[in-house]
Amino acid sequence: MSEETFMGVPRNTIDWSPIIDFNKCNYCMECVKFCPHQVFEVRENEDKKFIVKNPDNCVVFCRACGKTCGLDAITFPDKGATTKKIKETRKGMAGNE
Amino acid sequence: MSKSFAVLPCNGLDKGAGCISREIALHLIEKSDSEMICPVLYRVADARYTKIAQEKPLLVIDGCQTRCASKLASEKGLKVTAKLTVTEEAKNRGVDLGDSLRLGQNEVKLAEMVADELLLEKEPEKASESETASDSEIVYPETYDYEVYKKDKFIFRVPKEGFLFNENDSWAYISGNKARVGVTDYVQQSLSDIMFFTPPVVGSEVEQFGELGAIESGKAVFEVVSPVSGRITAVNEELSVAPELINQNPYEKGWIVEVELTDLESDKELLLEFEGYFKILKRKVDDFHV
Repeated sequence: MSEETFMGVPRNTIDWSPIIDFNKCNYCMECVKFCPHQVFEVRENEDKKFIVKNPDNCVVFCRACGKTCGLDAITFPDKGATTKKIKETRKGMAGNE
Repeated sequence: MSKSFAVLPCNGLDKGAGCISREIALHLIEKSDSEMICPVLYRVADARYTKIAQEKPLLVIDGCQTRCASKLASEKGLKVTAKLTVTEEAKNRGVDLGDSLRLGQNEVKLAEMVADELLLEKEPEKASESETASDSEIVYPETYDYEVYKKDKFIFRVPKEGFLFNENDSWAYISGNKARVGVTDYVQQSLSDIMFFTPPVVGSEVEQFGELGAIESGKAVFEVVSPVSGRITAVNEELSVAPELINQNPYEKGWIVEVELTDLESDKELLLEFEGYFKILKRKVDDFHV
């Protein structure tokens, strides 16, 4: 198992993974080939030829797959808002202890 | 004296942006003493092109983010002086690239604009915003004491004292209200030979986990994830000519930027000291590093 927490916060409480704009995507699959964390899964026979299968495998704040996309079809959540949310979750966790 | 380059375009024939890379290269060789390297012939005519690439500053022109020309330069062990990506240039100028492989008016104009800008003599961007002598009184140690974790032939160093880390493998060395920032050995080992550093703008503000430029190898482009929030006061200028300093030691001569801190106390909530980071590094290496 890899990243289960990020800065002590359960990974599944953090909303961070690539968002694919399938209207722009040309299925070159560079992002799929690039990601070493199995975030994507290929769906050869479907309309959308791949999906974000394991969003919680995505390294929080990593946007490297987006940099392989020549069409800018990949975006990510806002970093500032995500940081804020992580801090709030931490506070909540500390309060519950 | 006009500038000149050894120009390595990707020349991707089945993509519009690749065709524009060739057009830019053509402008450059017509308007200056630049010489072109054919990426296709380079595969079989090593000596000829390696010589050109060594004689003149190398400009790499990628059409798209697949970075074929960059990867070729990395394979050939070439030193990259400047690089650009056509799709990025188009985006920055608000030019919409069509689907056609033939160059239209927009594409021709874009190529000409990019080439002309490259040939402009730029004064080195020093001074004004960057560190002034009175600011830079902080003297950083030349070396640090490291704990080492080994996996096969890979060695991962982590400095034992004075550093704070984020889980994105960046570090901050705090000195008063300033921090020097860089990446850890995990980043440079994962990327392997770093061939290019894109610095952030000195004077600009960065949030914690915001982007502090990018470092690039044949394998990937890595966005430096800032461990702290603040204003960028300096970048390590040496990295533009010798990005390999990050491979040699990312904590010492391979540092990346200096930041004037704005909210260290809050940033610290999401930073780790040596013990915490070393544990995470070991886990990452064991889980993942090949």
